[in-house]
Amino acid sequence: MYSIGAVARMLDIPASTLRAWEERYSMIRPVRSEGSQRLYSRRQVEKLRFVKAQIESGASAADAHRLLAEEARAGGVPAVLEGPPGDRRPLVLIAEKDTYASDLAEYFLRTDGYQVAIAVDATQAKFQFDERSPDVVIIDLLISGGAGFRLVSEFAQKGTSQILAVAAIDAAEEALRVGAAAFMRKPLESLQLVSTVRDLLGTSAIVRSKRNQTAEL
Amino acid sequence: MNDRLSSGNSRLDEILNGGLLKNAINLIVGVPGSGKTILSQQFTFANATREHPALYLSTLSEPLDKILRYGQGFKFFDATAIRDGRVIYEDIGPVLGEDGLDDVLTVIDGYLKQVRPGIVVVDSFRVFQAFATDVTHFRRFLYDLTRRVTASATTSVWNAPYTRTQALEAAEFAVADGIISLDIKQIGEREMRVLQVLKLRGSSYKTGEHAYRISEDGFRVSPRLADSLDDSPYQLSDVHTATGIAAFDELLGNGGYWAGATTLIAGPSGIGKTLMGLHFIFQGARSNEPGIIATFQENQTQLERVAHSFGWSLEDPKVHVLHRSVVAMNIDEWVYELLDLADQTGAKRIVVDSLVDLQSAAADPVRFKEWMFSLAQRCTRAGIGLMMIMEVTELFQLRQISEEGISHLADNVVLLQYVQEGPELVRALTILKTRAMRHRPVVHRYEITDKGFELGDALGLSR
Repeated sequence: MYSIGAVARMLDIPASTLRAWEERYSMIRPVRSEGSQRLYSRRQVEKLRFVKAQIESGASAADAHRLLAEEARAGGVPAVLEGPPGDRRPLVLIAEKDTYASDLAEYFLRTDGYQVAIAVDATQAKFQFDERSPDVVIIDLLISGGAGFRLVSEFAQKGTSQILAVAAIDAAEEALRVGAAAFMRKPLESLQLVSTVRDLLGTSAIVRSKRNQTAEL
Repeated sequence: MNDRLSSGNSRLDEILNGGLLKNAINLIVGVPGSGKTILSQQFTFANATREHPALYLSTLSEPLDKILRYGQGFKFFDATAIRDGRVIYEDIGPVLGEDGLDDVLTVIDGYLKQVRPGIVVVDSFRVFQAFATDVTHFRRFLYDLTRRVTASATTSVWNAPYTRTQALEAAEFAVADGIISLDIKQIGEREMRVLQVLKLRGSSYKTGEHAYRISEDGFRVSPRLADSLDDSPYQLSDVHTATGIAAFDELLGNGGYWAGATTLIAGPSGIGKTLMGLHFIFQGARSNEPGIIATFQENQTQLERVAHSFGWSLEDPKVHVLHRSVVAMNIDEWVYELLDLADQTGAKRIVVDSLVDLQSAAADPVRFKEWMFSLAQRCTRAGIGLMMIMEVTELFQLRQISEEGISHLADNVVLLQYVQEGPELVRALTILKTRAMRHRPVVHRYEITDKGFELGDALGLSR
C-alpha cells in the first residue's frame, strides 16, 4: 500500500491532481485508512502510470482515463473499480460530457450521502456500468453525439439500475420511450436532482435489497 | 413552461414577454446613473427564496456597503431577506484585487456548490476586463464562467456600464442570452430615461425605447404603447351611450354613440368642447358608467368651478379626474396611468382634454399616430367610450383638421365652430362622420346656457 504522497513522488503527479482525477473519473479509487488516508494498491499505481503515459503522449486526462477503461476491457491493465470495501451507500453513475455539470451534480449527490462515479463519454459509461452496477444512472442524452438514447435503452434492458435521463433540450417523451425512469431538463437544480434520485432509489429499494441479500448468501 | 423570472416590475415583464430568462445570462448595460444596480436589486429581492437564494456579488467598481446603503432606500429592499439568507451580498473585490481573475472562478465554483443560488448578480462585470492580461485572457475567463453558470441552475445578471454601442461590441454581448440597455436621453432641455431590449434569445419582446422612472418604489417602466392590429374577435356592443345632450342624441340617430366608440371633438378655443366632454362624463355617471376626465388644461379646482356652473360636481363618485402637466411628460407613462385608473374605477367613458397637449408631448408625429391608434384600440376592446378633444386655430369655416390622421381612426368626428349669421356670431355643430350610423351632415346652431349645451335649428352655412 502506498500513501498519496508516496504515489505523487513516485509518479511525479501532484497529490491534488490525483485527488481531482479520483473525484472526476472515479476509476482509480484508493481505499481509506482508519485515519481516512488514501491507500493506493500496486495495481492502482500501475493504472496511474498508464494514465500518465497517455497524457505524456498528448492525450487529455479524460481521454487517458477512457483509454484506461478500454485497456481494462481488452484485458490489458487490470482495472478493479471497487469502492472502499463495505461501502453500502447507493452508487450513482453520472454519464455527462460537460465536466462542470458533472462536477456540480457529483457535489450535490455526494453531500447528500451518495457514492458517485463519473463517465465523460459513452464508452466510459458502459465500462463503469458493467464494472460497478450503479443503483442509479444519470445519462445526458446528448453524450457522445447523442449516444445517450442508446445507453438509456441498453442499460434499461438490463433492469439493474434506475435511469434518469437529462438533456438541455426537452426530450422527456423520447427518453421515457427508450426506457428512462425519469427525465430532467438541464441545468439540474440541486434540490430537484437529489429528490429525484431519492425517489428513483425508493422505487428500486426492493430490487436492491434482494440483490444485496443474494450477494451475502 | 416556466422559463422566466419576474423582473420585479410587471410592465418590464410585459416588455420582456414574461420576465428575465431563467437559468440564462442576462446582461444589463447602461451609462453610470441609469439604474443598473437598482434594477438588479429589485430583481434579486423579487425572486430570492430560501431554497433558491440570490447571491449578489459586488466587484471592485463599488464598495458593497455603498450598494447596500443606497439600496436600503427602496421599498423592495427587505432586510429580513438578508437576515434569513434569501439574499446574500458578497464582495469579491478582495479576491479579484489580490489573486486575479482565475481565483474568481474558484470562488464562484465554491458559491455554486455551497450556496446553490438561484440567482447570481455580478455588479459590475466590466471590472473583470481590467484584470485580464489581454483580450484572449478575458475571453477565456468569460468562456469558463459561462460554462460554469450554464451547468448550474442559476440565473445570471451581469451589470456593465457600457453605452449601447459599446455593449454591441463587448465580448459579453455574444454570450449573454438577454440584454437590457438603459440610457438617459436628452430631449430638448429635458432628460428622459429609456430602456431598450437589445437581445432576448428564443423570444419576442416589445421593441423600441420604453420610458422608465426610478422612485422609492424602484424601477418603473412604461412600455411604448404600440399594439399591433388586433384582429381577434371581440364583443361589439349594440348599446348606445347617450351623449348627455338629448337633442344631439336624436341627431346622431340612435340615441348616442356606440358604446366603446372613439369620438373626436374639434373646434376653436372657447367654443364649448370641454363642456361637451363634461356632458358625456356626467351623463355616464348618471347611468352608472364611471368616467375619467383626463386633462392637461384645467386643474381639479378650475374644472370643478366650470362643472359647478352647469350644476354638476366632481365630487360625484362616478367621476374621476386625472390632471397632469405636460411639462416633462411622457405619453407612455401617462397612458398607463390612465389605463390603470380606468381599470381601478371600471371606467366606461374617458375624455381626453386635449389631444394637442399629447401631440406636443409626443414630439414625433409618426410615433403619436401609432400610440393614438393603440389607445383607441384598447378602449374599443374594453368597451370604453373615448372622447378626444382637439383644439383648432381657425375660428370660422374650418377647411382642414390638421390632426395627423386622427379623424381616420375616430368613429365619430364632431366639428364645433363659429358661424356668422348676419351681424351675429353663432356657435354651430356639424357631425362630419359617424361610423356605422346614418347621420345628416347638417350644421346646427347651439347655445351655451346655464344648463349647458342647447342644440338649436339647422342653419345654412353663410359665406
